[in-house]
Parts: sequence; C-alpha cells; structure tokens
Amino acid sequence: MKTLISIILAGMAILAISACTKTDNYDGPNASFQGNLVASTGGNLLTSGGSTQIWMQQIGWTVPQTIPSKFDGTFEDTKLFKGGYKVVPTGGAFWPVYDTITVNINNGTKHDFVVTPYIVIKNFTSTLTGTTLTLKFDIDAPVPAGMPTIKDIQPYVNTTRLVGTGASIRDFSDVNAVTINKDFIDMTPAEKSMTLTVPNLLPGRTFFVRVGVRLSDSFNSSNFSEIVQVNIPK
Amino acid sequence: MKSIKKIIIAISIVAGGVVTSCQKLNVPPKNIFTSDVIFNSQAGIQSFLATLYQDLPIEDFKYLPSSADGSGSGGGYGFVHGGNDWTEFYNEAGAIGEEVGPWSGFDIGGGFGFWPYGDIRNVNIMIAELPKHATQLTQAGVDAILGEAHFLRAYYYFGLAKRYGGVPIITVPQDPGAPLATLQVHRDKEQAVWDFISSELDLGYKMMPATSDAGRANKYVAAALKSRAMLYAACVAKYGSTNYVDGVARSSGFAGIPASAAAAYFQAAYDAAKLLDGVYSLYNATPGDKVQNYVDLFLKPNSPENIFIKQYSKANNTAHSWDATMSPRYFTADALSRSYPTLDLVQVWGNLQVTNSDGTPKRFDNRADIQQGLEPRLLATIYFPGATLRGLTFDMQRGIYPSFSGTAAAEVAKQPNSRSYILSGDTKTLYQGKQVIGFTGPWTGGDELTRTGFYVRKYVDYTRLQATVGLNSSVQPWIDLRYAEVLLNRAEAAVELGNTGDALTVINQIRDRAGATLYGSIDLTKVRNERRMELAFENQYYWDLKRWRTADVVLDKAHFKGLMPYYIFNEDKYIFLSEPELFNREYTFPKQNYYEPIPGGEISKNPNLLPNNPGY
Repeated sequence: MKTLISIILAGMAILAISACTKTDNYDGPNASFQGNLVASTGGNLLTSGGSTQIWMQQIGWTVPQTIPSKFDGTFEDTKLFKGGYKVVPTGGAFWPVYDTITVNINNGTKHDFVVTPYIVIKNFTSTLTGTTLTLKFDIDAPVPAGMPTIKDIQPYVNTTRLVGTGASIRDFSDVNAVTINKDFIDMTPAEKSMTLTVPNLLPGRTFFVRVGVRLSDSFNSSNFSEIVQVNIPK
Repeated sequence: MKSIKKIIIAISIVAGGVVTSCQKLNVPPKNIFTSDVIFNSQAGIQSFLATLYQDLPIEDFKYLPSSADGSGSGGGYGFVHGGNDWTEFYNEAGAIGEEVGPWSGFDIGGGFGFWPYGDIRNVNIMIAELPKHATQLTQAGVDAILGEAHFLRAYYYFGLAKRYGGVPIITVPQDPGAPLATLQVHRDKEQAVWDFISSELDLGYKMMPATSDAGRANKYVAAALKSRAMLYAACVAKYGSTNYVDGVARSSGFAGIPASAAAAYFQAAYDAAKLLDGVYSLYNATPGDKVQNYVDLFLKPNSPENIFIKQYSKANNTAHSWDATMSPRYFTADALSRSYPTLDLVQVWGNLQVTNSDGTPKRFDNRADIQQGLEPRLLATIYFPGATLRGLTFDMQRGIYPSFSGTAAAEVAKQPNSRSYILSGDTKTLYQGKQVIGFTGPWTGGDELTRTGFYVRKYVDYTRLQATVGLNSSVQPWIDLRYAEVLLNRAEAAVELGNTGDALTVINQIRDRAGATLYGSIDLTKVRNERRMELAFENQYYWDLKRWRTADVVLDKAHFKGLMPYYIFNEDKYIFLSEPELFNREYTFPKQNYYEPIPGGEISKNPNLLPNNPGY
C-alpha cells in the first residue's frame, strides 16, 4: 500500500513539474519603428503634445495604434510586433495625407514622412522689457489656396522645455491668445507680421516660450515656432 | 448467491432503462418560450415588448453618456436600468457647459460602445413572427403591434445613426448557422440609415392607433420621433458638409450626407411635426402662476404635453435618484449633488442685472431679490439664491466681505489671495455672528455643494417630504417626447426652409406659456436659443451642438462661469459677482467626436465594419 501511495505521489510530482516547463514560443514585441516628420519647407515639423501622431495598423489586425510625435518632429516606438503595417501621419497642422504606405517593421526600421505644413513661422524673435515679453514673427503658407481658416495665435509659456498645447501655464499662454478668424489668402502682408505680448512674468524665473498658429482643420491643430529660453532678471 | 442477486438487480435496472428510453422526447421544453407561447396572446407580446421598451435608447435621468471618469460606479454605462443607479450627476449637461460637475472636461465624446443589435434582433424576430399569428391576434391586432415594432426599430437605429452615422441595416433575424461571410455585414451609408429610420417611422405612423397606454407608442409618438430624427439628418447634411473631419469613412458616405439632401430632411421634419397639430398641447393648467405651471409640467401625470414617457417604480427596482442627486443634502434624506447649472446657461435668457452702470456690484437687501423680473421659465428651471424647497431656503453665499469698494470686474480679476473676502470650509463658521458660507454653498471643499451658485430645479419633485427623498426613490416619469420639443423641431425646420411666419407663431406659443415676452420677428439664432432655454437639462443640447456642428466652436478651451453671492458686512447687503465656476474646468470638443468610434470589440468580431469613422 505504501509503495502504491509513493508511486502515485511520484507520478503526480513528475506531472506537476513537467506541466510547468512549456515556454512561450511567441516573439515579444521587439521590433521598432522610428523616423522624422519632415516639413516640405525644410527641417522637421515642430509639433506639440496631443494630436500629431503616426497612425498604424498591422496588416491582418483590425485595431489601429498610434505613435505620438515628439515636440521636435521625431517619433519612435520600440515595442512593436514584427510585420507589415499600414502607416500614415495624421492629426497635425499639415495638409492631410490620405494614402497609407506599407512598411515592413523589423528591428530598427526607419522611415521619414514628408508633410506640407499649413503655416510656417519665420523670423521669430523675443524681446524682454522688464517683465513683459514681446514675441514677433511672420507667417507664411507653402500652399495658400484652400487652407483652413486661421483661428488664433498665442504664446506658449512653460517652466520646462516641454512647452506647447497642454503643456503651458494658462495665465501666461491661453490668456494672451489673439483671435484672428481669417483666411491666410485674405490677409495683407502687414497682417501676416504678428506680435504677441506676455506681461507680468515672474522675476528671477526661467521660462521656455514658443508661439503657435491655430487652424480650423479637422483637429484644430497648430503650427509652432521653435522653443526659446527666456530668463527674467530679478 | 449475493452476487447473483446483484446481477439480477443490475439487469433489471438496465432492462428498465432500455424499455423507458424508447419514449420519444417530443415534450415541448418547459423552460424555453417558443414563438407560439409569446406571439399567440397579447400578454405574451406585452412581456416581449416590455424588454424592448426598457432597452430603448431613451436618454433619461439615469443615462450615463460615457464610460470615462468612473461615471458608472452605481452600475453600468449608457442606458442603465438596474436597482441602484444613482450617478445622475454624470449627465450630458455637465460635459458641455449647461452644468459643470464631476466630468473633468468634455469627457463624453467617445461614448460607451452603444451597439443594440441584440434588441434589434428581437424586433426583427417579432416582425417576422407576428404575421403568422393573425388567427389568434386578428389582422388589426397584428398591424397595430407591427407598427409598434417598426417604431421601436427606428428608435434603436436613431440611437445608432446619431452616434456612428452609417451602420449595417439588418431587417431580418440573422441565422447563427449561416456562413461567417454572410454574418459579417458591411456598414450602410449614413444617408441610407436615416432614410430607413424615416420609412420605419412612416410605417409606425400608418399602422399604430392614435392612442396608447402611457409608456407605449402610438402613431403620434412615431411622428414626433420622426421630427426629431429628420432634423438631425438635415443638420448632418447641411452643417456636416462644411465642418467635418476628412477620412475614408466620409468619402465612402458612412459618415456624412450630401448637402443637397438637407432640404428634403428639413421638410420631412416639418411635415412630421405638423401631424401633431391639435392632438397635443402645451401644459397650461395654472396660467396664473407661470413659475408653478412650468414646474408642474414635468411632474403632473396626464399632462396634455406628454407624448412619450418612461416610467419608474420602486417595486420593480427601477426608481431613479433625481431628487436626491440634484439638490444638496440640506434638502434630502441621503446622497449628494455634484453638478450645477452655469451662469452661461442662465445668460441665454439675458444678462442678470447684478452690476450698476459704473461697474460696481449692485447692492441687494435680500438675496432672493436677484430673482426679480426674471422669466418664470428660468426660475422654474434653476433654483436661484433665495428660492425655497421643502420649507428650506437656498441660502447660497460664497463668503463675506467686511467691506467692499470698487468695481465687480476689478475684484474678480484680482488674485484670490489679494481679495479681502472671508471664506470658510465649513457652514458652521461664523464671522461676527454671521454665517460665512451658506448651507447650500458655494464651497470648494467637496463636490456636494454648488460651485456655480445655482441648482437644478427642473424635474425636482417639491411635494415629497425631506425624510423620504433618498436614493432610488424617485418615480416621476421621464418625458422623452413632449409637445414643446415638437414645436421647436417644427420652428427650426421652418426657419431653415424659409418659413419664418410659422416659426414665429409656434415659438411665441412656447414663450407665452413660459412667461417670456413675445417676439415680433424670428431668426435661426432665436429659435436655437429658445430650444436651449426650453429644453435645458433634457439631454438635447449635446446632440444639438453635434448636429449644428458648433460643438468645436462653443467648446474650444471653454471655461464656464458661476454667480457667487457675497454678504457685505458693514453695509448689511448682498452682492453677486460673475466668477469662473469653482471647479475651474476646461472643455474642448475634438472634431472627430461629431461621430463616435465604432466599438473596437465589434470591429474585432466583424472587420467589415471598417473603415472606422474619421480620426479613429
């Protein structure tokens, strides 16, 4: 009887141990996809938090995923499954791209997308007088015809280099927005030269500042200037 | 010997089993209702209909428009009808600036994955089965219920079309054994879905009788719903063709209708609304007291204005919690309020006279004096400072100014720490013997007191005793379709069609009952504003913003305001300051939310539902 029990126990032990030895034979998400959103006017498309992203759908699957663009117009995702993907940049202040392209994503796959921004911000300067910051810039449109209406312009002010929509101090940023509500094509050259002011900045602080021009496109998205650092003296 | 006995017993058991097993199992199963049981009698049909009515996408007291923000802590999302649905303050009004409340912004654009094809299947079964039972039900009986079924099917598809645009139109019950390719149906075009809704409601109007039990449809309910649905379709065609998010679903016609179709839809909305002319009328039982009259309109049974209502009952565990969740604990037995009307909504009626011409705040002897000269409908829709409920007063007071000088604008522009007011975190705190904040707020320590200076009055049952006003105890019906809305649908369609004369007449009917001054002329803005005022908190404005395609303009980094009452100690007067509401929330409507995304789970089951709506 004792032997019988020990044999059964031994058998159970063997089964229990061997049951755990199965390994996951499916590769983890170890492919990556990175690249730039290149503006057709030169340089990367400067973006902000939120809307601009690479929309991608793995072929054979139904649920799309997205890679958000970083502020400097680069994107990167290192946890993707290998395979063919349909990809397209979307959600930014650039002429819509309708045609998805198919990319075979593997380890270290790179791809640059060229997009045509609605608005290009040129000659961006900032001057500080006391605690009031004056921001001047000119706007230009690579393709003026058929553009969405320009809704407003505004400064974005934050205490870190991450500055843009959703990452700014409202009392310095949204509050100082200026409504435009005009089509670029109807604006005079003088109107295309713009000025924004940010009063009452706090002495002794460092701020990071950029300006944005918001359009009434599908995403109410904005074209941005580069980011400048402003030190307010004590 | 023993074993032989065992063998004999075993054999006889087996033999017994073999003999009895030959009985054929053709006894009808007792636990499954066959179609004969259901469709041979009115009682069977009624119980089948009850579920279909209960599941209708009626945006009532309990409707939770989104699964965001933990809104469904009392139960599920969407159209809930459990026994403990007490999150009424997670309402549409609170996401779009009629109210501000627990939503942290415009959080409801993604919806909750509404996909009622189970219910639609049941309607389809009904429509397929009913004609087979004409002997038992009589042909007239079959027709009446078929009409009801077409109405129900239209209502479900309306719920789908206004959320997703084009969805698959399924009119016959699918056979689960059919090949997958047949079951995985494609989306139909948005226009086809609206046309289907229109023809279903026409059938409903043709086949149903003129009257019905409360809570059930009749031909005029179908006509009223048609005016609502066609107005939506017309606006999608007219305004959706200029303000849209581009994408494959749009270019394929799944999201969007050609602008050329707008006029026909407006005409259909107008014609449907006209059918109710003379059948229903605006509630006007006490014309001498227009405030009381407007309050009672939402509470009195048998109102001639009610076209289609949804009922609740404590015995059936379907009671709602409107009374307990729209007023603060001060007036109720338990529960809390959490969403509050904005000053922005109040100002649709016109600016309140709270500031003198020199910019200084007007002094009031009594906080109730703010109500003087206001439109009765406004006072019946929103509880103002000084109003009373169940013998208690809405004593809203944000704080005390020991003294006050200067203009209202300058005071509100100051940083909070440089304002000379005295606030308190507790209703018990006194300043030289005077209570600092009201029992009813405003207060920012918790969510349960107003953050705007107002409370919802519409639908609040003032006749109940305070001790009985608890959660899951309110049974006043939700008026899903009332004649005032049909008149507003008619007026809007009329103005869009250029028939301003008719629009002016019906708008003035509404304004007369409301106690407002009558208009001498009419335009689209006036009609739309009338709609906002008349239908405030009735879960209409969200869909109005969507169909007018103005949501992304109205809710563009929007901040809403409240009206804060203060007591000025040295003058013994009250002032009211227009200030940002005390949640200080920001509301932005992303344009792709004009359509909700087709639920991801459904796309996984049926990839033919792709392309998804633009932007998703």
